[in-house]
Parts: sequence; structure tokens; C-alpha cells
Amino acid sequence: MSKNDETYTSPPAISEQDIISAMKAIPGYVDITPGDFKQIYQVAYTMAIERLLNSVTAGQLMTRTVQLLKQAMSLVEAATFLADNQVSGAPVVDDENTLVGIVSEKDFLREMGFGFNPSFMQIATHCLHDKSCMIGNLHGRTVADIMTKSPVSGCPEMTIGSISTIFADRKINRLPIVDHEGLIVGIVTRTDLAHAYRVFTGGRQA
Amino acid sequence: MNFLQKMKGTTQSPPAVGLVEVLWSWAGSFLGIGAVSLIHYKLLSQTDLLMIIGSFGASAVLIYGAVRSPLAQPRNLIGGHVLSAIVGVTAFQLVGGQPWLAASLAVSVSIALMHLTKTLHPPGGATALIAVIGGDGVHSLGYLYVLIPVALGAAVMLLIALVVNNISKTRRYPEFWL
Repeated sequence: MSKNDETYTSPPAISEQDIISAMKAIPGYVDITPGDFKQIYQVAYTMAIERLLNSVTAGQLMTRTVQLLKQAMSLVEAATFLADNQVSGAPVVDDENTLVGIVSEKDFLREMGFGFNPSFMQIATHCLHDKSCMIGNLHGRTVADIMTKSPVSGCPEMTIGSISTIFADRKINRLPIVDHEGLIVGIVTRTDLAHAYRVFTGGRQA
Repeated sequence: MNFLQKMKGTTQSPPAVGLVEVLWSWAGSFLGIGAVSLIHYKLLSQTDLLMIIGSFGASAVLIYGAVRSPLAQPRNLIGGHVLSAIVGVTAFQLVGGQPWLAASLAVSVSIALMHLTKTLHPPGGATALIAVIGGDGVHSLGYLYVLIPVALGAAVMLLIALVVNNISKTRRYPEFWL
């Protein structure tokens, strides 16, 4: 288990005083010591977290209509496509529709010459100081040139726990979900993860 | 945690109950022990039969004073007393010539059996012990001891618990039957 998982599964610090207050709120003699209750609580909490993390799968979370890019698309075309669909990245497929790469805003920015970890603020600063906007670097290049090749992908059975771990460990924002034949059936983004709460509660609001 | 550190304890005593709870515990146990002792002293006084044994006092603590406790539930009350009574009588009949052995076997085997059958009820240990150290009055009952006073007395106390413990809005009994 990674260090991240352990922070997820350690329960909020509950004090014996909290437990005693709760026991006082229950009329009648509760036949357990606060210490024993705390121990039961901690184990039960860990198990509940495990159960939640394993109960929701990529199949339930993923967005099913995936915007796909072709390798041969020019970057200008690709940028227009992403902008029109209001997404910040998309998987790239070959002519057989198999996943060969993934492209995100960061790949564009990197291509424009903003270093390995580019951000919008860098561009803003650059454009303010220097009128040339480096967008020209994108002309004549294709999706295949800038995409991240052989990207990580998941299967529909993958649990929310392992998806979060992949996002954190690989520092990525989207995970294409492929079926047994390698065809893309959906995509899980960080936004989908944020909406997982709705899946946990069966669609009810907090 | 090492051997000596363990002896210092790790936690604190659960909070005290309110006055209302104290009153209901008093009322339940008064009525429960009242019922079995009335039968004992008023109905059975001319016979060789008993209705009350010391371990019922201990059961009263649980089923009227700690009604939520797993140890106080009907399965434990009836199961614990009956099993322990059988073990106690058997221990006396097999090794009664060595009372120290009969007594220790009666209690220890009862505890083991109660654990294995999920019927742990602390007064059961006393019920088993009484079968050995209870004198001629108890010894002459033989296995009848299991039915009267043990099973019947426990059943009467259970009946009172079902009535008294469910009157108050803040109390309920049992938590479970089986």
C-alpha cells in the first residue's frame, strides 16, 4: 500500500472524551470501555474506507462519449477540436481505433516552448512581456508529434481506489478506459472522480 | 506493551448512568428477584424443591442493570444458566468425591462451553459452582437442578425483564434473541 492510501484510511482522530460524551448521550449502561470502542471504531473505519474505495468502478464513473483525436490530425485542427468540445485533452487512436497516445493542453504548451511543466500563467506572463506568442511553433506539426505515446489505460472493472492512486502517482488527469479488445469505451477524468460522491450516495445530494 | 505496562490499564471507566436508569434497574431487580423468591418461600417451602439460587442475584445485575450488554441477552441468560447447570451436576456426579476438582471443573468447563456456544453469562459460573458446593438440598435434585430452579427461575426473571425493561422510553430489551 502506498503512503497515500494510508493517509486516506487513517480515521479522524477521535478522543476518549468524544466517546465518553457519546456514551453519556445514550441512556443506559453501555457495557464497553471507551478504549475498546475506539479500537473497534478505528478498525471499522478502515474497513468502510476500503469498501467504499472498492465499491465504485471505472465503469460507473467514466464518461462514455469520448472525444478522440487521430494521429495524423494537424495541431491546429486538434486544438480547434478540443476547444469545440470543451475538453482539455483527448486520447489518440490509430486507424484501427486502438489507443496509441494521449494529448493534453500541457503537450501543446510544451511544444510551444514553455518548458516541461508549463502553465497558463507562464503564457500570460510571456505574452505580456513579449508580443510574439509562440503559437507559430504549432504549425505543420501533427498530433502524433506531441502526444504522450503508450499512455496508461484502465479497464471498466478498475476501482476508484486504484484510479486515484494512478492519478496521483503518474501525475495525470485523465485515464482512457479500454475493453478486452483494446477499444476505448470511456474516459475517467479528475472531474469524474470529484463526482464520485454522487455514485457513493446513489445520486442523492449531500 | 510489556507485561508490567499492561497492569497500569489503558483507558478509563465508562460514564455513570443517570438517576432514572438507576431507578429502573432497582425496580426491575426488585420485581425479578421478588418473583423467584416468592415462589421459593411461599409455594415451594413445603417441598424439597428450590426456586432461588445465589447466581440469580448476579443475573439480576445484568438483565435489569446492564440491559444492553451482550452478556445480559436472553440467549446468554437462559443458555448460560442451563449449560452451566448441566456441567455442574455432571461434575459433581463424576468427581464429587474430590470437591475441589469438581468445583474447578464445573466452573472452567462451563466458561469454555459458554464461549463456544456464544452464551457467555457470568452468573452461569456460579450456577455451575452451586451444583457442587450447594449442599445436600442441591445434590439430591440431581439433573432436576437444571430444570428447577435453574431453567425455570431464569425464565421467570426473563419474563419480568421483558416487561419492566420495555416500559421506559429510554430502555429496550432484548437487543437480540438468538
